[in-house]
This record gives sequence, C-alpha cells and structure tokens, in this order.
Amino acid sequence: MDAGGAGERIPVEERLFSLVLALLATRNGLTKTEILSTVQGYRQKYAASSDNSALERQFQRDKDDLRELGVPLETFEPLGDEGNNQNTLYRILRTEYELPADITFSKEEASLLNLASLVWREGSLSGESRRALMKLRSTGLESSQPLLDYTPRANIRDKAFGSLSVALEKRQQVEFEYLKPGETNSTSRKAFPLALVQFQGRWHLYAVEVASGERRTFLLRRIVSEVRASSADSPEIEDDSAARALAELKEVWSSHKATIRVEPGTDAEVRLLQQEGSNRLSDGRISLHYVDLHILADELAGFGPEVLVESPDELRFEVLRRLETIAANHPVESGVSNG
Amino acid sequence: MAENTPALQARDRLTFLLSLVPFLIDRGQVSVSEAAEHFGISEEQVRQAVRLIAVSGIPGVTATYQPDDLFDIAWEEFEENDEIVLTNLIAIDETPRFSSREAAALIAGLQYLSALPERQDRDLISGLLVKLARATSGLPSQVAVADTETNATLAAFKEAVASGVQVEFDYLNAKGELERRRVDPLRVESVDNDWYLRGWCHLREALRTFRLDRISKIEITKEPLAHHPTELPLPDSLFEGSPDDLDVEVELLANAVPLVEDYLAVVKPMGTDGSRVRAQIRVSHFHGLKRLVNSRSEVMRVIGPEDAVTAVGDWARQALERYHSGQ
Repeated sequence: MDAGGAGERIPVEERLFSLVLALLATRNGLTKTEILSTVQGYRQKYAASSDNSALERQFQRDKDDLRELGVPLETFEPLGDEGNNQNTLYRILRTEYELPADITFSKEEASLLNLASLVWREGSLSGESRRALMKLRSTGLESSQPLLDYTPRANIRDKAFGSLSVALEKRQQVEFEYLKPGETNSTSRKAFPLALVQFQGRWHLYAVEVASGERRTFLLRRIVSEVRASSADSPEIEDDSAARALAELKEVWSSHKATIRVEPGTDAEVRLLQQEGSNRLSDGRISLHYVDLHILADELAGFGPEVLVESPDELRFEVLRRLETIAANHPVESGVSNG
Repeated sequence: MAENTPALQARDRLTFLLSLVPFLIDRGQVSVSEAAEHFGISEEQVRQAVRLIAVSGIPGVTATYQPDDLFDIAWEEFEENDEIVLTNLIAIDETPRFSSREAAALIAGLQYLSALPERQDRDLISGLLVKLARATSGLPSQVAVADTETNATLAAFKEAVASGVQVEFDYLNAKGELERRRVDPLRVESVDNDWYLRGWCHLREALRTFRLDRISKIEITKEPLAHHPTELPLPDSLFEGSPDDLDVEVELLANAVPLVEDYLAVVKPMGTDGSRVRAQIRVSHFHGLKRLVNSRSEVMRVIGPEDAVTAVGDWARQALERYHSGQ
C-alpha cells in the first residue's frame, strides 16, 4: 500500500508518529538516509540523487521535538566505524521509552495527579499538563472532577516562564532585560537557569549569572523583555537546585521583618494579619516577613492611610516615595477650593 | 473536562496517538464516545486519530509499508458501530514516559496542592514524587513550589461543597463595610499570593468574587446549595461587571498591562515608542480604584474623570499626612 504520492501533504503528527514507530521497531538502528528515504512523511520529499538539506533540517527539528516530548531518541556510531557521521544510527530503546511496568497509581494517587494536572490549566504549563494527563489516561487512570475547582491564574502568566523552562531543560544560556526593584530602567542580564520556583505565590528564576559567576534569584515578573536563549551549555548540573532556591528564599523571607501600625477594623488590618508569618505585637502593631521590599512597599502604599510603616527605614522611605508620586500624579481638582 | 475540548496542537495530537494505542490494547474494544470521554477530547478527534493509526506503521523489510507492516482495525465495527478494535499491532505496547517538563508540571501541581485541603497525607505526595521521577525520560526539570500553610478557609468551602450546603461568613468589603454573606462556593482561584472565592451570593443574588483574606467567622449551614460548581459557568474575568460600574481612564506602562488585566476593558497604545498605553478600566467604586492605583504607583496613573483622579490622590495625601504628623 502506497500511503501517499509526492503531492500529498502529510500532517506533522503523522510524520512524527511514523518516525517513532520506525525507530522503536528497529533493533540495530537506522541511518539518516534510511529514515529520510523510507519513513512516511519524509520519503515523499526525499530525492535520491539531489540535495536533501531542507529535509535534513526538518529531521533535525523533529528529533528535537520528540526529545522535548520525552521520547528518548538516541544516536550511536556502529562498532568499528566510530567518527564517520554518515553512518550514525538512530533508534528508540523500548526500555527507555516505556513507562516502567511496575509503576501503577492507587485511586488516591490518581485523584491527586488529576488535580495536579488541572492546577496549571492556564498559561505556560498548560500544554505540559495536558500532555501529562493524556499519558496518565493512557494507563487507564480515570478522570475525576475535584469537588471544588482550584485555579491559579496570573501567577503563571508571567510571559518569561515558557522560554525559561525550555532553556532550563536544554541547559541553554538566557539573556533578558531585568527591571531591578526600585529602578525605572532595565539592564540586560545573562544567566544559566538552574531552577524555576514559586515562593509566596510568585515565580522566581534561580540562575548562575554569567558576568559574576554567582547564583542569583530573579523575579519573573521583573523580566521585561523576551527571553533569548543561546545554546552555550551550562557549566554545571545540579539536581537539587529547586530545593536550594526555595531554602534561600525562605531564609531571606525569615530575616526581612517589617513593623507596621494599622488602623483597627480596616481592610489593611484584616489582610495583613492573614499573611503567612505575620503577627500582632502586644501594643497592636503588626510584624510581618517579606522577600522583596519593593513589592511590599507597593502593597502597603495601596492601603493608603490605613497603615503607617515604622520599620525598616528603607521600607518607610519607599512607601513615602510612592505616596508622593501618586499625590503628584493625581492633583486636587482644579477650580475646587482646597480650604 | 469533556465540556472543554480545546483545539489540539501537533504535539498534543502526537502525544494523543502514542497514548491512545496502549489504552486501546488494554481495553480490547472500546466505543468512540467512551474513549472521548476518558481522554476528555471530542469524538471527532478520536475518530481522526483512529483513522490515522489504522494506516500507520513501519517501512518494513520491503521499505514500502506493506499491509503487514501497518496497524489495522476492525473497520466494520468502526464505520458502522463507532467501536474501536485494533486487529494488528505495530511497535507500541506501553504508555510513553513523561517528558522532563511534563513531570515538572505534575510535580509543581502536587506541590501547589499542599496549600489546599486536598493535601491529604504527606506520604502519599512524597511517594508520588518518587514514582514520577522514575516515570520520566531523563530527570524532571527543576521546577518547584514552596510549601505553604494549609488554608483553613478553603477546607470549610470544600466541606460545604462535599455535603452540598451553603456557607455563611463575615465579609469586609473594600469600602470597609462588614456584611454577613451566604454563598454557594463554586471555584477557588489564586493570583500571586492572593486567593479568591467565586460563588453565588444569596444576598446579592448574583455571582460574586470574594478575597479569602477578607472572610472571617465561617459557618457551614444546613441549607442545600442552590448552585453546584459543575452547573454554573463562570466568566473568565475574575470580577463581574455591573451596570453601576464606573469607567476610568488610565495611563500605564505597556509591560504592566498584565498586572491589571483582570480590570481592563479597552486598551489602546499611545505615544510613538509604544512603551505606554491608555486604557479604560471598570471598577465598582473609587474605594477599589484608589487601592488598585496606589499599589501600582510606578506603572499607572488615572487620567479621568476628575473625581477619580482626586479620590486616588486624596488617598495618598491622607496617608502622607499621617506620616508627617507621626500619628
């Protein structure tokens, strides 16, 4: 059966599916020429005696795509013929491709996984969640709707998340414009991503900055440009970066403490007291922890006269500066007497 | 799940093909509607996938895709009864492993759940993390969510929905007014670290959004729910508009638009460099507006109407007065 003439357009998924089947079925591996000349979706475009460079680039992209989707496509040189990349062989090892047979999920685990995959329905992790859920369903895992629907919204809308998570996985170097807290002009930063972590509801990039060689934590929403990735390999691989990043943030959070006076019965009082780690001192003032002084200053400025910052001085200064900006940007109605 | 069947991208369609085959092998025979329901996609998407699988395979010894090299299905069952039976299998037996990022999405999801009453016991989640690491091709990406305190308010809402009854609580609105509300909980959403309950408010007889940190004195009533989470569609926007809403014109930095997206009605770029935009936002009252603008002083300001400008400026001036008098 001939599954298509030269003029027929083969859908992307058909080409990729055929490639996976062919590479799973081969024991000894296939050469690039064998793949391009025989596999459905390539063979229709293959020219036996002329240039196939466009098709080769297509194959290159397909390999990357498959690997990104978790298909362990491997390349190896035939024994005794190392170094001749015309003869490089491609295959997918079944043992690396298949979910280990002993992995099964109990009913309780299944319902947790279901819920976990629904958490990121919106934003950059939604595609990953959707595909993870398909694979879970493939194992026979039943769908179950949680009783009450939970959806995080904006916290993963941070535009940079998608490109950073790809760069993280491919161990690429990234470059972006970063707006440092309290400044109005951004600066260009280059770094190797180590982890993406959410702390106090906000996503942070933990990375080694190229210029200094130091580990730094960047707040995703302060990344104000597109994230450009380049293929320089990251200098180190660590498998506990995410835990380290969270531990460092927790330490910063614990050591930063503010003392605030609040008007009783106001929105500010109710909300500040509900924050994790906040507590009321014996004289009625509220003490709270924070990571980013400028984010807290924004929040406190929003409460207007309901709060008065006592310490630290820098926080008090930042809140005052904001209030002055707002007052200047929003003058009293012209023509109406002030007195 | 099935009511919401988004258009699939090519990588979704490939993943679906690779996931559907092992499921079909496992079930032996399954109807199109059952498979669609199971995977949460449309029946037509399932039929398309089955048609593609049925003509797919490997080049084979002749390198020409002979019938024996292809999957096959029981065509009559499929065409006439909408039933799927694979009759010839090629290359695939089992579900593929998760990609690094898929595993990371599930892991981050599990960690996020730790703030919710679903957290159950820690052992279950840590056991799952181990399994997911083994079920991933390569290592799961380093993506994590910090552990937070379990929210007792959420637990009360969940219990109310589970037992099908309404909840009552004290709610302090942005104007500083305290009211007792009776609500059917429908959905819990979070924006950064702020949590919101969306539900049917029996006092206002309308959908309303409540900030969790303004809720106190929760009581689970004996009144049955008037609306269940699965029945009432919720609009995407977090804040419900009302005819009394005020339109306010603001100017903001273009890259700050996502920060106020939930309030925006109309956005139009201005200036030559495109770094600033004028936008119209809808607010229910100036009390909300002054908090919104004052907490984003560096990226937005109100242009009009004049009483809105004054309300926002006065809020800051009152605060400045406190600092200057030291009270």
